[in-house]
Amino acid sequence: MAGRTIVVTSGKGGVGKTTTVANIGTALAKKKHSVVLIDGDIGLRNLDVVMGLENRIVYNLVDIIEGRCRKEQAMIRDRKLGNLCIIPAAQTRDKDSVQPEQMKRLCEELAEEFDYVFIDCPAGIEQGFKNAVAGAQLAIVVTTPEVSAIRDADRVIGLLEASMLRDVHLIVNRLNDRMVKKGDMMSTEDIVALLAIPLLGIVPESEDVVVSTNRGVPLVHDRSSRAGAAFQGIAARLNGEDVPVHNGRELGFRDFFRKLFTGQ
Amino acid sequence: MQKSDHITRMENQEFIPLQIKANREGFVLLPEEAASFQAVFAYLKNRLEHSRDFFRHTKMVLDLRFRVFSIEEIQSIDSLLKESCGAGLVEIKLKEGFSLFTERRERIIVPPPASKDVEGVPLIVRQTCRSGARIVSQSDCLVLGDVNPGAEVIAYGDVVVFGSLRGLAHAGAAGNRHAKIWALSMEPNQLRIADMVAVPPRGSKPVPKRYEVALVRGESIEVVTV
Ligand SMILES: Nc1ncnc2c1ncn2[C@@H]1O[C@H](COP(=O)(O)OP(=O)(O)O)[C@@H](O)[C@H]1O
Ligand SMILES: [Mg+2]
Repeated sequence: MAGRTIVVTSGKGGVGKTTTVANIGTALAKKKHSVVLIDGDIGLRNLDVVMGLENRIVYNLVDIIEGRCRKEQAMIRDRKLGNLCIIPAAQTRDKDSVQPEQMKRLCEELAEEFDYVFIDCPAGIEQGFKNAVAGAQLAIVVTTPEVSAIRDADRVIGLLEASMLRDVHLIVNRLNDRMVKKGDMMSTEDIVALLAIPLLGIVPESEDVVVSTNRGVPLVHDRSSRAGAAFQGIAARLNGEDVPVHNGRELGFRDFFRKLFTGQ
Repeated sequence: MQKSDHITRMENQEFIPLQIKANREGFVLLPEEAASFQAVFAYLKNRLEHSRDFFRHTKMVLDLRFRVFSIEEIQSIDSLLKESCGAGLVEIKLKEGFSLFTERRERIIVPPPASKDVEGVPLIVRQTCRSGARIVSQSDCLVLGDVNPGAEVIAYGDVVVFGSLRGLAHAGAAGNRHAKIWALSMEPNQLRIADMVAVPPRGSKPVPKRYEVALVRGESIEVVTV
């Protein structure tokens, strides 16, 4: 059975697409699925850095598409998980070196071999976006609770719908509970009401993310991280497991024990 | 490859589901009344593939006066045009006298109405109007969904939003100050009636889900709860 191809996109840059791809991909690989992550951000690659694999790059996405290598040669295996690999973007080429049809074909081929194919989409709605969404059956739109990010997410959802991609899900990243309570931040409910697509999960604002990015080890390996737990919940839901989106946040291990002992 | 089978079958039967006519600016796509959407789509795809250079970057008008398509179907035609040859729909003729413009335009280009009074069937939009969408009706415009920030709904007559109006609405766009804007919940970026513009006060938190109407009273636009 062919695997699922999933694009992670946002419109606005810096909202957490790459972080999301790295963490959901790793979480699914930990569940013993075979997973490949494609860095679609040609010219600004960084998925390899987040995964801690940048030193191993020999070939890249454009090399595969232009036939300079076989796709297996460009795939870099994860350091911990044998069933997880990434295809890095080309750093020295521009987005126009790839056409949507070529991406579509590559994604189809990869879906024959892997359970999950993730595409990390560049910011914007131009060529790079079109390439990244061309081969996807499902889209995850990431936004932060900021008006500008939400506006771009809305635009992107409209474009996805227009390109016949109907299976679109939302992740709200960098939610700060305290700010929402004070009324300084839009709540998840408001965001979902506006964007009107199903909510896949909420990831809290967390310093863990920065630490994990700098170490090149995805957060889902860290059992104590709340943000890591959030990404695990998202991966489980994507995988069809019945894990509820906790009201406003996911339960980390510490919360779980606190809940166990205090009964709250 | 089922699609191409379909096309050959259609062609064998000499039934052409879509007429493509040249006009001054590009082409007019005119689907047959009896044609299925699949047949129209497959036929168009085939034609575009065979004459890609001929259609490259052209402006297309989709004439749906005889064969009605859903918004989704219109959107898939539009993306087919864009992807295969960089062409795009610039106008969708829905009924005599009103059109929907798909592209963001520098300024509102609406052909003058046939008569002074707004006539005709209202334009009905059955989906959320998202940021970047622009909808123009030469009659009333009914949106069965929300109008999000960054979306624009422009009508010669009234604008009626069965949802939250958070974007821009322009009623009476041809100059009718008696036109009104109705919404279940009024939280707009901006309201325009005829030649008048109103911007909501900054920082005001609207109470969601009431019935409200914006109309001109004297020299200003007022929003009242109905
Ligand atoms: N939940 C979070 N909490 C704190 N920082 C975050 C969070 N998610 C992302 N970041 C930070 O935001 C920055 C942009 O994230 P990234 O995933 O690269 O975004 P994108 O791929 O959308 O451009 C990174 O520095 C990352 O560490
Ligand atoms: Mg990125």
